Amino acid sequence: MTTPLLEIKNLHANVEGHDILKGVNLTVHLGEVHSIMGPNGSGKSTLACVLAGHEAYEVTEGEIYFMGQDLLELDADHRACAGIFLAFQYPVEIPGVSTKFFLKAAVNAMRKYRGEEELDAMDFLDLVEEKAASVKLNTDLLDRGVNEGFSGGEKKRAEIFQMAMLDPKLCVLDETDSGLDIDALRIVSDGVNKLRSSERGFVVITHYQRLLDHIVPDFVHVLIDGKIVKSGGKELALELEEKGYVAFENCDTGCCCG
Amino acid sequence: MTTMTFDNKCFEKLHKTEAWMYTNVSALAKIDFALSTTFVDEQIIHGFDVTPANSFIVLINGVFNEEASRLSDGIEINAAYELAGTIASRGDSFIPSFECDTVTITNNQEKTIHILQLVTGDCATAASGSVFIHAKEGESISVAETHVCLGDSGHLFMPLTEIMAEKNSNVTLVRAIRGSNTAYQLGQLHVCQLDSSEVQTHTITLASKVSRNEVSAYLDGEHIESNFDGMYMLGQDQQVDNHLRIEHNYPNCNSREFYKGILDGNAKSVFTGRIYVKEGATDTDAKQTNQNILLSDDANAIARPQLEIYNDEVACTHGATTGEIDEEAKLYLRSRGIPADAAEALLMYAFLNESLDHLADDGFRKTLTDELLSAMPGGDFIRTL
Repeated sequence: MTTPLLEIKNLHANVEGHDILKGVNLTVHLGEVHSIMGPNGSGKSTLACVLAGHEAYEVTEGEIYFMGQDLLELDADHRACAGIFLAFQYPVEIPGVSTKFFLKAAVNAMRKYRGEEELDAMDFLDLVEEKAASVKLNTDLLDRGVNEGFSGGEKKRAEIFQMAMLDPKLCVLDETDSGLDIDALRIVSDGVNKLRSSERGFVVITHYQRLLDHIVPDFVHVLIDGKIVKSGGKELALELEEKGYVAFENCDTGCCCG
Repeated sequence: MTTMTFDNKCFEKLHKTEAWMYTNVSALAKIDFALSTTFVDEQIIHGFDVTPANSFIVLINGVFNEEASRLSDGIEINAAYELAGTIASRGDSFIPSFECDTVTITNNQEKTIHILQLVTGDCATAASGSVFIHAKEGESISVAETHVCLGDSGHLFMPLTEIMAEKNSNVTLVRAIRGSNTAYQLGQLHVCQLDSSEVQTHTITLASKVSRNEVSAYLDGEHIESNFDGMYMLGQDQQVDNHLRIEHNYPNCNSREFYKGILDGNAKSVFTGRIYVKEGATDTDAKQTNQNILLSDDANAIARPQLEIYNDEVACTHGATTGEIDEEAKLYLRSRGIPADAAEALLMYAFLNESLDHLADDGFRKTLTDELLSAMPGGDFIRTL
């Protein structure tokens, strides 16, 4: 039995005193794509933030292991260096430094963490060109302030571009489809699909089934009121689309959780 | 040789006036300032000559230094220019002026003219220096001034710059305050603009014990664009007082004041942005913004937006923010593997560099960036990128 990439056990978390996650269990292996679906306020984004190490979210019970390592002991930057990447639902704008400049800091911080030599300027720019092309991102944008004045679609493409640059083990996509038109959705999905490999796992958080037409998951989990109430294959997403979340609201927590 | 007279008793009660209520310079009244010209080592001047392909004008203690300077067409020293002093005389600054050399800049100046004003001396020395920029109809002039007090004798520098921007002209002025952290730099900038002219000024304060940067602008025409930007990075007991007054005298003009800075230690920033809109100056669009990041509990930022409006059809806005480093942005950077202290340095740099980004990409900007990184916590990390 191989060590899972990610193992979440009975996770409880709150923010500003409100209990949001009330016992989440989830196991992700390398090479798998798991989708977490749920209505607004079910705790989807909280789960993403807890995984990334957002300090405003307090874990009150439960455990998270990342490649066998206790994730809750690590700060946000150490988690990233260990191989977790969160594509933000609302990427932050940082005028004054360019994406290239900031990513150079990120790439080199990670290389330093792994005991590797820093990338020289030429190799870094080559990597930028290659990865930007994979999400059809105009490299001129990367000389602007981080996400500054980017359209909704450009922000999400820039997130996937960053993901490709940083080469994580676990990619967490928080509502990456929100605010995207059909064309942008396809470009972003193509970018994600290119990164799918037996050496990487994905947790794709989404509200709608339409993203899963493009990024086809191996497993779908329904998160309602802080708990995963049902898990299944990709067909579960279609069932959700048809019946709505209401049909799952009184689902017994014991039913086929991942 | 200039003769200089100067009465420093005027500083004694200045802080009892409304305009100086947050900046006490009464200590200056007790100092017996030297008023002498002196010699500065060629190597020191050379170190500040960061745009060797451009015109370079050096004033030492307010006296023009011919050997170190490179003049070009349109630059004159002590020209009999009847406009000089007329814009400053419209204001009511308390900063005393005394005799010094005047640099006059006219004609189209495609390349940025660099003016270096040094104040030096073995004991506390007071000096002034005067610059007059005159862009005639359709002309374009770009000037960068570096104001440096050398050594730690507690010098007092009171530079005066005037800008006359006629119809359809364009003037850009950058003023960088660098050098000693024991000095007092009390500067005045007076601007007069006519129809459809554009003026942009950047005042960057990276040194001094006390800096007072007064700006007064008279928008004497229509369709004028006026941008006054400022940036500061201060620590210890340093203080900056950016004091602006923009006078909209005709309709359809836009003015913008945008000042931002980071304060560490016991540093203090005062921002006063007065916008005066005369009766009849309709469709005025005036904005003033002051943003501060405080790195210590003892740092202090005071923002005073002031609007004085005598008609209804205007859009005047003001905004001031004072806070700590944005935690959301910090998390974003950390979630990309950047350690907490490096993320903070990156965000501070981003905050201040937004101002420098507007400057022409030349040796002058490079030097300012370098100076900023020396003054900023975590600057050494940014240098490695």
